[in-house]
Amino acid sequence: MTVSAAPTQATVKSETARAPVRKNRFWSWLIFVVGALYFLVPLAATFYWSLRAEKDKFGFEAYRRLFADTNFLPSFSESIVNAIAAILISLLIIVPTAYWVTLRLPKLRPVIEFITLLPFVIPAVVLVFGLIRLYSRPPLLLTATYDSSRILLVCVYAALSFPYMFRAVDNGLRAMDVRTLTEAAQSLGASWPTILFRVIFPNLRVALLSGALLTFAIVIGELTIALFMAQHTLGPYMANLTRSKVYEPSAMAIVAFAITWAAMGIIQLIGRGQQGQIAGGH
Amino acid sequence: MAYLTLSNISKQFGDTYAVQDFNLDVEKGEFVSFLGPSGCGKTTTLRMIAGFETPTDGAIALGGADITNKPPNQRKMGMIFQSYALFPNMTVAQNIGFGLRVRKDSKADIQERVREMISLVNLEKHAEKYPYQLSGGQQQRVSLARALAIRPDVLLLDEPLSALDAKIRVSLRAQIREIQRKLGITAIFVTHDQEEALSISDRIVVMYDGNVEQVGTPFEIYNFPTTTFVANFVGSLNTAVAEVTDPAKGLLSVNGVQFSSAAKMDGLQKGDNVRIAIRPERFSFASEVRKANVVDCRIENITFLGSVVRVHMLIGNSSFTMDTFNYPSLELPRIGATEQVTCSREAVLLLEEVRANGHEPKL
Ligand SMILES: Nc1ncnc2c1ncn2[C@@H]1O[C@H](COP(=O)(O)OP(=O)(O)OP(=O)(O)O)[C@@H](O)[C@H]1O
Ligand SMILES: [Mg+2]
Repeated sequence: MTVSAAPTQATVKSETARAPVRKNRFWSWLIFVVGALYFLVPLAATFYWSLRAEKDKFGFEAYRRLFADTNFLPSFSESIVNAIAAILISLLIIVPTAYWVTLRLPKLRPVIEFITLLPFVIPAVVLVFGLIRLYSRPPLLLTATYDSSRILLVCVYAALSFPYMFRAVDNGLRAMDVRTLTEAAQSLGASWPTILFRVIFPNLRVALLSGALLTFAIVIGELTIALFMAQHTLGPYMANLTRSKVYEPSAMAIVAFAITWAAMGIIQLIGRGQQGQIAGGH
Repeated sequence: MAYLTLSNISKQFGDTYAVQDFNLDVEKGEFVSFLGPSGCGKTTTLRMIAGFETPTDGAIALGGADITNKPPNQRKMGMIFQSYALFPNMTVAQNIGFGLRVRKDSKADIQERVREMISLVNLEKHAEKYPYQLSGGQQQRVSLARALAIRPDVLLLDEPLSALDAKIRVSLRAQIREIQRKLGITAIFVTHDQEEALSISDRIVVMYDGNVEQVGTPFEIYNFPTTTFVANFVGSLNTAVAEVTDPAKGLLSVNGVQFSSAAKMDGLQKGDNVRIAIRPERFSFASEVRKANVVDCRIENITFLGSVVRVHMLIGNSSFTMDTFNYPSLELPRIGATEQVTCSREAVLLLEEVRANGHEPKL
């Protein structure tokens, strides 16, 4: 270190270096505050509005009415079941695919990545018309009954989750030495299913959870596709609520936010635990 | 018949050969090293034995049975990787027991075997830790215990010590060798470090550019290298082009300085060019003892290497080095002085012939 050789220079340098940092900090705080206000003001207003269902009084009347509505809980639970089904389908497709691409077909990665990105590129309205055209006539008639439409919807949701799921799983796979771990397991006698379920899945825990929770957050309130397929899920229910009620939609919005945030919070919590492990390694 | 036999193994990636016409017999309980520079095909050969690669040509047999196309999870080859490859989601004990759980041993058997393996590698205090809580050396010991737990037919180690620092490397290689001897397990050890290979092996396979250069005991490889490559790669070496002056008497001339060699010179004629090799430690000052060859040299430089002093000198215009032990009463010549050095006839090795058109041997 040359600090002792030129002490004055060093102090001057550090002072000139500190000033822009302070300035930077001011601007980053300003941007943060503006961003936070942009986000928090509507949220606060919505929350405020949701508490005003009774005249001249703050209270949770709107929430009580919402949960008392006979259509709310069925559509809510239907959406939850759809989300879980979509997550499972997505996992079973994406994890083996991403694993195999990492292990054996690294050249194919850009192609797979592009395919998983398609749901981002195609607007939901276009997607839904395409789907209805394709699946409303034999041999792929799926829109005839409510239940078959629901199966179709779940499959579409699984496809919508691909961008998130693939990225999450891919990151998880990159964080471990997939090839060597696979070979180590093989040399110890493990078959492919054993490797997948005892080695790969457990080490992808965090990645799988974040992929799953992101999928959940998207699917739970999805409107466009559910509406066109005449499904009684949470999305259409909320849209309907907005048209007919005054305070309940606000309460609904807050509930939806709480669920999404809980999902994010869980990702953060689990991610932090895992990070400690990784940081400690090697 | 040998325990593990590789017959005419080749492996092609695209149109380049990673390994070409590899032949090797390994006896049961033998410790064999593959030694060679980066890219010479050591890992590829090891992976073919493990079953991770299929040979393009040739066959691999274990205990008389052909295993060339057997999948890796049915081979019972214990594999040790440079990067340890421990399962991060499992404790030390769970890692070691993995192979036993996979083949569905009873709980009691697994527990017993895991305990045995943990004490074999001295990790009793760490059984419940996760890999990230262990040092590199400890992790590699876990990996060794995990591979040995399934009682593999052959233990395969791919540069297991390369990621460790020098001290640990030396102590762990001694432990590996000791355990291998104790269990009498057949082992193949890949390394690019000649000292490691020389110190640990029963036999060494020196590889270069996909080919086997020489197979032999460490003693043979070091003292009787048969190719320029082996001579250069294993230990440090003086080489010089020499002209054969009398093949019957074993006389050669390096730029007019005469050397006498014990090497066979069948088929060589007066006037042929050959390459000779002399290990630096085979030279000594002629003032102490006089051996068959006594030659004049000019001292160019002297470097201290601790227990050894390395003298750089010119003999008939060719550079040579001499290593001599360092002891307090050693009298070193001045730089620039002319001295006499000596070496025996056996010290003058003959490598391959240099072609008449002046091409150097490879390397
Ligand atoms: N999967 C592969 N595809 C194409 N070429 C390969 C593959 N694996 C190895 N090679 C090539 O085969 C040659 C031998 O590689 P190998 O890994 O066996 O060398 P090595 O002796 O283990 O070297 P190192 O000491 O660097 O580990 C190299 O030229 C390498 O580029
Ligand atoms: Mg290698």
